[in-house]
Amino acid sequence: MKQALTWRLLAREWRSGELGILLMALVLAVSVVVGVSSFVTRLQSALLSESARFLAADMVVVSRSPVPEAWISAAHEQQLQPTEVVGFPSMAVADIDHMALSSIKAVSLGYPLRGELLWSSEPYGEVLATGAIPGAGEVWLAPRLFSLLDVELGESIFVGEQPLRVSGAVRGEPDATTAVFGFGPRLLMNTADIPATGVIQPGSRVEYRLLLSGAPEAIASFTEWVKPQLGQGQRLDSVEGAQPSIGETLDRAQGFLLLAGSLAVVLAAAAITLASRRFGERHTQYVAILKSLGAQSPEIAGLYGRSLFWIGLFGTLIGCLLGWVLQEAFIRVLGSLLPVEPGSAGLKPVLIGGVTAAVCLMFFAWPPLRRLGQASPLRVLRADMGIAEAQRSSDFLMGSVAIVALMWWYSGSALVTGAVIAGLSVVMGLGYMAASVLLSGSRSVGGFAGSLWRVALAGLQRRGRANALQMVIFAMAIMLMLLLSVVRTSLIGQWQAQLPPDAPNHFLMNLAPEERPELQTFFADNEILSETLYPMTRGRVISVNDAALPRWEELEEDGAPRQREANFTWSDEIPSGNELLDGEWWTADTDQPWVSLEEEFASDIGATVGDRLSLLIGADALEVTVLNIRAVDWQSMRPNFFMVFPRKVLEAFPGMYMTSFRLLPEQKSLLNQLVGVLPTVTVIELDIVIREMRVVVDQVARALELVLGVILLAGGLVLISGVRSSLDGRLRESALLRAVGARKGVVLGALWIEFLVLGGLAGALASVGAEVAAWGLQTQVFEMSWTPTPVMWALGPTLGAVIVGALGVWSCRRVVNVPPVVILREV
Amino acid sequence: MIKVSQLLKTVPTADGDLTILHGVDLEIVAGTSAAIVGASGSGKSTLLGLLAGMDVASAGEVWLDGVNLSALDEDARARLRAEKVGFVFQNFQLLPALTAKENVMLPLELAGIDEAGSIAERFLGEVGLQDRLGHYPTTLSGGEQQRVAIARAFAREPAVLFADEPTGNLDTRTGERIIDLLFELNARASTTLVLVTHDERLAERCDKRFSMSAGELSGP
Repeated sequence: MKQALTWRLLAREWRSGELGILLMALVLAVSVVVGVSSFVTRLQSALLSESARFLAADMVVVSRSPVPEAWISAAHEQQLQPTEVVGFPSMAVADIDHMALSSIKAVSLGYPLRGELLWSSEPYGEVLATGAIPGAGEVWLAPRLFSLLDVELGESIFVGEQPLRVSGAVRGEPDATTAVFGFGPRLLMNTADIPATGVIQPGSRVEYRLLLSGAPEAIASFTEWVKPQLGQGQRLDSVEGAQPSIGETLDRAQGFLLLAGSLAVVLAAAAITLASRRFGERHTQYVAILKSLGAQSPEIAGLYGRSLFWIGLFGTLIGCLLGWVLQEAFIRVLGSLLPVEPGSAGLKPVLIGGVTAAVCLMFFAWPPLRRLGQASPLRVLRADMGIAEAQRSSDFLMGSVAIVALMWWYSGSALVTGAVIAGLSVVMGLGYMAASVLLSGSRSVGGFAGSLWRVALAGLQRRGRANALQMVIFAMAIMLMLLLSVVRTSLIGQWQAQLPPDAPNHFLMNLAPEERPELQTFFADNEILSETLYPMTRGRVISVNDAALPRWEELEEDGAPRQREANFTWSDEIPSGNELLDGEWWTADTDQPWVSLEEEFASDIGATVGDRLSLLIGADALEVTVLNIRAVDWQSMRPNFFMVFPRKVLEAFPGMYMTSFRLLPEQKSLLNQLVGVLPTVTVIELDIVIREMRVVVDQVARALELVLGVILLAGGLVLISGVRSSLDGRLRESALLRAVGARKGVVLGALWIEFLVLGGLAGALASVGAEVAAWGLQTQVFEMSWTPTPVMWALGPTLGAVIVGALGVWSCRRVVNVPPVVILREV
Repeated sequence: MIKVSQLLKTVPTADGDLTILHGVDLEIVAGTSAAIVGASGSGKSTLLGLLAGMDVASAGEVWLDGVNLSALDEDARARLRAEKVGFVFQNFQLLPALTAKENVMLPLELAGIDEAGSIAERFLGEVGLQDRLGHYPTTLSGGEQQRVAIARAFAREPAVLFADEPTGNLDTRTGERIIDLLFELNARASTTLVLVTHDERLAERCDKRFSMSAGELSGP
């Protein structure tokens, strides 16, 4: 058949609207898939950079002995930029009365390779990020070291034998959480001064860190080269292991985006199926005429195949373009969040978009069109001949397999795919059951009802099969929209709950028992909100069930059980926000030697419930039995403890107190007063981190909303396609009703009832499916707790009825506005 | 020439097979016209479908211009229709997506004829629609649509023309004009005309008249 004819038919079909829906469905599928996957790819690269920031490098070689010169030369040869960091705990001395155990970090030129070193010229002064490090002969002190050592800017202190001039205050290091060198305030110095200090002796507990940055390939090649050479006490730290605390938030957001993209594919496939089905039905007569005029099956297949090819090509191109616009919009919205310019998304998203288009067209659009070639030419003589079933179960099966594979490939998660499929299966199974029962029973109900209801219910029953399919499709679309809304709401809710506006943003430690009243007075005088004071004793686990644990420096294999030092506290009840995983909690007045362990800590020392632990608290030994294991929410911004004891067991040991409190930005200078009043306390400032986290959460929530909007659009398109799929039959019947004298009100009323019933039922089914899928996603994928969403059970049927009802009646409005004869002639 | 022998057509129903045609025999000489008349449901449209190769008989043979249709598959029969058969239907069966001229061009294009456009214009001129070339079917009256269908049927200069109740959807006067046109073009092209109708006056204008009743054919 001539190409010109293909174009003519395509052009005319475009005007009739059916191709428009098909094309729009395809464009939507491709654009959402391309947009979301480009965005996620770029977000991932930004995330890696974010992680790199928390490592201050792309990769770090950690060693207990100096890193071999040959490795540094090799790094240079691989075009990697290296810089060395040396960390150790040591005493900083101002004079005989003023000394403090400090966590010393010596850095060299180039530090940090990723992220920024924040400092100020006054202890709590304006924070600067100038790219500078302490010069040779200089030190930067943590703000509270100034008061501990009673020094001011320009004065000198000693580290070992070397005097160093205080030239600044260190306010933030990118790798503060990954490069910890003992417990104590930070002292930052230059590596050039280390030999002169004389503090590093054989056996000293020193950590050497070689920071490296460069192209991913160079990092990979260096890793491959250096790995076999790593000896005892040497390891590689990569960005994957250095997720910041916001990592979980971003991880979940990424999971949500991928889920949304997968849902978009399902919705688009549904829209494409419906549009293509209607297209096929309307074209059966065309094909019969063409065949009566001598067109052969291959020509017909060629005609529609070519049409589909062009639609596919245009749809994919437009979809890719719109997808690019979409991801640009996401990036703009999130611009301020991303620490570095996100990398290019590459061609993979386009490939995913193309494959999505191909799968949708091949398995959902093509079967009804392919079968057009088999339409009998006899229809030109017998208009009452039935239309061959557009979609066969084999098509449906193949399509379903294709969609599951696509969702899996796309989300990269069997759990996400499984949860959504479970929800969809419930909708389909219940849908067909409900449809067959309710729609077949509707006529007997209608018999007792008025004429309006009788007409509507008869209509529902007459198109029973088509209505069942339509209802299931409506239910799927509503389910996916509800599901995404529910997951989004609970994700954002959880993030906000994690960071309430009055969350503590400073930790205070090392408070002596006798200093408690003074601190409480200070807080009360300055109207500072604080958590309760927790007792805290520092101790060490040295053996489990009498088997001695190796010390950290004796450890032969990273990750093996070892001695751990930790902060101990006592509590009558399980600390709030903790969850008991194994064992039981004690009664408040017990004096049994029991202990409660945090789960990861328990795994670090290789202990479980019932094991006996030998502890050292100062010089005193203590034997306890593990009574339970707890999970701790480390992102809660509350004091959390690895080991909790009954009050009577720990009370006797000397200990200090800790708490967390909230300072407003304008109260920040109170910190200087606080360390003046209580010079020995340790204050950990988390306000900058929390502010960063809050920005991230806000921005990510906005991105989620953007994606939700796109998915709602996709769902709306499916609903429109669904309504249109049965339009001809309804228009014809309504026109006939009007032709035999039915008033507009009766015709419209019957249509309203029909669509309201369909939409309401679909909405109810959708609520069941969404609840099932939400349970799966929240408990299995997002690792959140699940609670039923009662509002959804009301919202689903109501929204379904209103939206489907309004869309349906709006689509059929012509029947009351246009003379019936015109409609009968057209359809 | 059309020759039919012992043609049987049964269709499956819920109550068992239903026989629509009971061993029909028929012969129509090339270049002549024949009418098949009968009441609704008598089986005449089924017979027409079989004669034109649009359906397959349960038993018996149909020969069309020397070709045994029973030996051909659907695509071969479609090829034969493209080469030798024209149709005029009761419901006109124009493609609403195409203009009057494009509808007439369609069978010519399907046959790969290059001058489809000029041939279509000529035939539309012959049926008096030279000023309606760019009109879509929905903007034409019933009579005009049937004239487009006649132009389409003759444009390929078929050996056999099948007409199924060509005046069934038209008023008497328009119907008469359509019939005049049909016979006039038929005479000019020496086409074999097979006409299915229940209109006795129309049947009388044909060379031969067959009667169909309850699936059985009686003829001259």
